[in-house]
Amino acid sequence: MLLTGSQIIMECLLEQQVDTVFGYPGGAVLNIYDALYEYSDKIHHICTAHEQGAAHAADGYARSSGKTGVCIATSGPGATNLVTGIATAYMDSVPMVAITGNVNLNLLGLDSFQEVDITGITMPITKHNFLVKKIEYLADTLREAFRIANEGRKGPVLVDIPKDITGQKYEFTPVPDAPHHPLSTEQELAMHLPLPKPAMTPKECHLKRALKLLSESERPFLYTGGGLIASEASEEFARFAEKLDAPVAASLMCQGGFDQSQERYLGMLGMHGTMTAALALKHCDLFIAVGTRFSDRVICNSGLFARHCPIIQIDIDPAEFGKNIDVNVKLGGDAKEILHILNERMESQPRPEWMNQIAAWKQQYPLHQTTKQENGITPQLVLETLHNLANGDAIITTEVGQHQMWAAQFYGFHRPRQFITSGGLGTMGFGLGASLGAQVANPDKKVINVAGDGSFHMNCAELSTAVKYNIPIVELILDNRVLGMVRQWQKLFYDYRFSQTTLDKATNYEMLAQAFGMKALTITTKDEIEPVLKEALSHKGPVLVHCAIDRDINVLPMVPAGASAEEPILEIKED
Amino acid sequence: MSHHDTKERDYVLSVLAQNNSGVLLRIAGLFSRRCYNIKSIVAAQTEDAAHSQMIIVVQGDDRIVRQVEKQLSKLVEVEQVTILEDRDAVVREHLLMKLTRTDSTSAQLIAVAGVFHANVLDVTEDQMIVELTGSAQTLDSFVQACKPYGIQKILRTGSMAMEK
Repeated sequence: MLLTGSQIIMECLLEQQVDTVFGYPGGAVLNIYDALYEYSDKIHHICTAHEQGAAHAADGYARSSGKTGVCIATSGPGATNLVTGIATAYMDSVPMVAITGNVNLNLLGLDSFQEVDITGITMPITKHNFLVKKIEYLADTLREAFRIANEGRKGPVLVDIPKDITGQKYEFTPVPDAPHHPLSTEQELAMHLPLPKPAMTPKECHLKRALKLLSESERPFLYTGGGLIASEASEEFARFAEKLDAPVAASLMCQGGFDQSQERYLGMLGMHGTMTAALALKHCDLFIAVGTRFSDRVICNSGLFARHCPIIQIDIDPAEFGKNIDVNVKLGGDAKEILHILNERMESQPRPEWMNQIAAWKQQYPLHQTTKQENGITPQLVLETLHNLANGDAIITTEVGQHQMWAAQFYGFHRPRQFITSGGLGTMGFGLGASLGAQVANPDKKVINVAGDGSFHMNCAELSTAVKYNIPIVELILDNRVLGMVRQWQKLFYDYRFSQTTLDKATNYEMLAQAFGMKALTITTKDEIEPVLKEALSHKGPVLVHCAIDRDINVLPMVPAGASAEEPILEIKED
Repeated sequence: MSHHDTKERDYVLSVLAQNNSGVLLRIAGLFSRRCYNIKSIVAAQTEDAAHSQMIIVVQGDDRIVRQVEKQLSKLVEVEQVTILEDRDAVVREHLLMKLTRTDSTSAQLIAVAGVFHANVLDVTEDQMIVELTGSAQTLDSFVQACKPYGIQKILRTGSMAMEK
């Protein structure tokens, strides 16, 4: 059928089973928005307050559903506003397709109005990007974009489309089952499209070595990362942990990848990990990493990390072997498949002594309970109450800072895709947009964005989006009137010189929420925590909950920069 | 713990990529953002117009070069990356050099060029352009030998390498 470029874009989105996109209109995407108008019964478009919000929403949609997130922006500033969102998705390996308009082909390269070289700008923060210069290539380029975003280690792909291409007409041939329909090598080469990378599988000799190390180990330690969630390997992993009878720690990106109510769960490892995880690391005789890239926030000091024991690493990205840490056994490939193979070939190996030791440490070192209180309110109490009221089933998104770490430490996640946070890039302003995407993808779940007052101010205009589309998120602001995490570092390393971190903004959060047209609630005393959260959770539309907390509550434990991950500090002495 | 050869040296990488606009930029960008040192890069279309072959000389230790190889392999347009060791490949570099020439040095310069089997491409009253193809070491020696006569300009291509 003869379609315009914009209609072809819509058809390609439908081929990929995309029913929701996030974006913002503009000159170079006028044709695309005209097609969205035509396809509005099939493709739901959410117009955010700012393109960054659209990128974060597409990201939150993808992380919470496992599907590919899609965002659309116009040329120039529209495209550059996506950049932080794309980089966020790239660092956390989230499948996303960003579609940007550009100026007409004959205006490219002439510093035309709202022209920017977005493929040049996003080269280091996408898995790949395309500038579509011929209408003939449009459909297959979009199909390739979805393929690349989901192939191997997932990530964002950007497709930049000049305006005139979106208006030209071309014969569109639908591809049934497009997400699984590979183009032929000839087709790909003819259109200058990249070829698929061969899927990796672990070598037999490496599997044998891994099985030997596993069976010989007396004190194995399991450590999981976001790759576990990306490969949908939670069930297989739970079986593996059970058979191996080993303790499990998780990175920030794997919160919920393993049920945290399990006895063998230790908490996070690394900069704000638990003491039990640090002790288990110190005493283990085999370290098994699943789908994790050994971030500097976890290994802390690479020269001191797990030097006393062999390491087995399972990862889909071969470049992660030996990048930050040397490992002894590299099992390359999909975590779920590899864990399945190991489970099939491994006997149950009870290790009661090791697990008793772990249980004793857990008892001895419970997570830090803060003594600083404001009317009895602590973040821990708020988050634990929230967990109980939502039956532990809500999706939690976060901004970045202390509140993010508290959410990870205290909420208690039970299933994958329940905790959505910017781990790699650490993007303040991520959470609100992400919560919109997560809520749209999961209409049956409660979605709560846990925010700090600093992060809230970055992208708070997205509250208007929640109101406009009646996206019933809970925006929970833990307000300490400072940039708490930076302040904590200033206490530790800058002699209490609080440079620019004392915000003390005059913002009236309740009035601001009301100005956006949303309900606002306030927690002012300990006794109000439960009823207010209950009211917020049962409210049918978006609601903001403001909760003042003390400004000197620290995130603990903490491994100071340069120290060993085995030796966190448990308190920061106040003068 | 696995051990790596931590001695720094030059490694020759042969990279086969799709011949698309921007592919060189993607590869060069990868080197700069991951702080790898490119000593030289030669890129051109292969016998098939859809592909481009690049020969990249990287300075680093074994661990770095393995990382470079794997990171390059992740670029979606890159189809093959091979680390070429001297014994497995023919490695050649091309040099153009402009030398100061006087009537008294002319015969000596031509003799030096002759020793290295360099070609004299152009001669004027006061200068001479020579070319030489060979290993990087041969080129270095030739440059050293010509130095006393006055070098005005040197152009080197960087190494090209072909697997045996």
